[in-house]
Amino acid sequence: MVLQLIKLELLKSMRSTSFAKSALVAIFLGFLAIVLLAYVLLLGIVLKDVLEKVLESQNAYETLSAGLIYFFLFEFMYRYFTQQLPVMELERFLHLPIKKSKIIRFLLGRSFISPLTVIAPLLFGPFAYREVLPRFGDIAAISWIAAIVLTSWSLHWLMLWFKQKFEDSLTGIGIVFLVLLLGVGSTYLGWYNLGEIIKPVFDWSLTSPIPVLLLLGVCFALYQMAFTYYRQNAYLEDLSQEENIRFANQDLGFLSRFGLAGEFANLEWKLIIRHKKPRTYLMLAGFFLLYGLVFYNNPQYASEEGFSHLFVFVGSFITGIFMLQYGQLFLSWNSANFDFFLQKREGVEALIKGKYLLFIVVSIICLLASIPYVYFGWDILLIHLATFLFNMGVVMHLVVSLSLWKPKPMDLNKGAMFNYEGVGIAQFLMIIPMMIAPYAVYLPFWWFFQNQYVGLAALAIVGMAGIIAFKPLSRLPVQRVLKNRYEISSSFRQEI
Amino acid sequence: MINIEGLKKQYKETVVLDVPSLFIPKAECFGLVGNNGAGKTTLFRIILDLVRATAGSVMIDEEDVSQSENWKWKVGAYLDEHMLLSYLTPDEYFEALRKMYRMSDADMTLHLERFHELFNDEILGKKKYIRDLSKGNLKKVGIAAALMGNPEVVLLDEPFENLDPSSQNRLKKLIIQEKENSQITFLISSHDLNHVTDICERIVLLEKGQVIKDIKEKELMVAELNAYFGT
Repeated sequence: MVLQLIKLELLKSMRSTSFAKSALVAIFLGFLAIVLLAYVLLLGIVLKDVLEKVLESQNAYETLSAGLIYFFLFEFMYRYFTQQLPVMELERFLHLPIKKSKIIRFLLGRSFISPLTVIAPLLFGPFAYREVLPRFGDIAAISWIAAIVLTSWSLHWLMLWFKQKFEDSLTGIGIVFLVLLLGVGSTYLGWYNLGEIIKPVFDWSLTSPIPVLLLLGVCFALYQMAFTYYRQNAYLEDLSQEENIRFANQDLGFLSRFGLAGEFANLEWKLIIRHKKPRTYLMLAGFFLLYGLVFYNNPQYASEEGFSHLFVFVGSFITGIFMLQYGQLFLSWNSANFDFFLQKREGVEALIKGKYLLFIVVSIICLLASIPYVYFGWDILLIHLATFLFNMGVVMHLVVSLSLWKPKPMDLNKGAMFNYEGVGIAQFLMIIPMMIAPYAVYLPFWWFFQNQYVGLAALAIVGMAGIIAFKPLSRLPVQRVLKNRYEISSSFRQEI
Repeated sequence: MINIEGLKKQYKETVVLDVPSLFIPKAECFGLVGNNGAGKTTLFRIILDLVRATAGSVMIDEEDVSQSENWKWKVGAYLDEHMLLSYLTPDEYFEALRKMYRMSDADMTLHLERFHELFNDEILGKKKYIRDLSKGNLKKVGIAAALMGNPEVVLLDEPFENLDPSSQNRLKKLIIQEKENSQITFLISSHDLNHVTDICERIVLLEKGQVIKDIKEKELMVAELNAYFGT
């Protein structure tokens, strides 16, 4: 029976639209995963040296175990955002004469086979070998690494339960913020030292097998908790249904002033807040607003005069992240009801104009929200303004025209992370012009005049030229969609 | 009203639709029947310009559907869920359509009033997204939407499917009423021979993409169709 299930799973991934239709994307992703894991392993191998040379630590083991808590907090975050719940498959099996507990054990077990599982062993395994083993002996090394890996795996089961129970709810977001705050509170504000609180557990594991046994118990208990929760809620209504109308009713009323296109922008807004995937994108745009904090106050990028060239990239990201991400899948968002727009007079035109309108509105909001960065200098504000204009005038049209290259259908109710439905080669290649375009304008002018502000001015002027030419430029994608309407609509109906 | 000339749809070698000529006059109720895969939905999609015809053309009031868009004012349709914005509640959906068709609030209320009986108090004023409605209620929303904006032609694909028996009768009454009051041309495909022969004065039978029967006499319809379908 289990073999049969495994076989079905394999067939499913082989025949899934994203795999079969773009094997290239799958290969690329697989490659990417391997490369990333290889980096993790590499980092693990040099971790000892990094701690000793870069952080000038006398005692690499001490430093590492004091920092372990941050790794786990970080792990909590990335698991929260990337770990996928196995419930999507449940409905296909529920009506069959297989025991529920068996299905759930299978699905839980399958969720464990993931790159996330091996991150902790890859990262800390070499360290245990190079640092712990010579200093504390082989049994200590094994017990230490076992404690770490078990903690990481406990997080896996905890997250399965946590996400199923709280995802998309305010409690969930609250807890995630709390975790973030815990980390911030201890590092920046120095209220307490989290590292010190967790460290004894791992120190103890050097001398005694008890912590490992305890963690083994915790890991198993969390697995049981996840299992029990899933088992009790193994009904369609509990697991796979989206929550009903809650906060999702707000209109962006002012959009209606822009006629039919505004009306469609409003509809698009509802589409965004009522589906999981676009909602995550919107949330990410919010998170990326903080992206500047990583760069702007980083001494590494501070320069005597002017600003780092990298800031142009950061600026265009902050002001345009929503457009870049959401725009990538331009039409795919409407794949479930594209016929609706085709069947209305001027429907396609209004749909596209509406999307443009929404991009502009959200970008303006991002620009306004990023004003506080002026704290790091007026330069930042200038950069944001210039990149905003450039985004509106040039990058937006680039994104749209690239995304119209063979749009693919997708299911909006699946999560956003590592969900490559609707993503084709175009979406991957898109990132290149997006990164290069601002520099293609900025760098020559900076170089020629030896003045960064001339570069920024060039960005702004080119952007404004694009904004002035908005009407004819925005008509191009409309015509392109109308020309390819049969292909697009039939691919959205999944007829190919 | 609708004039089809030399229409052909081919996927590679397979011909799925081949209609040399078909004319549907104004205010006719045109019923389309045929077994699964006979090409009913494809024909509707081509009429709506959702699928490209391999050859031939569809004219609505002398206007080629693949060349212009003005005909879209005159045509309402509900084929499947792709034509709904399933993430809206029915009220929001009708409101969005109202703005698209530039109707007044009063017109809209009047319009929905006609569906009062069909909706059976399960559609309007409910806090439920269209995607969460049952199949039957989904269909009712689609049909009410297709009839918005005073269309001259309305295409409905399997309108009776998934409806409960009383809703089926209400829908029948509604279609007959609309036809008499507003001179709407109805194109209805259905597997339910009783209903479709009741409301339509003309039945076209498709088989493997070809029109094999075009029956205009009410008396003959039932017998001929029963003979064909073996019922």
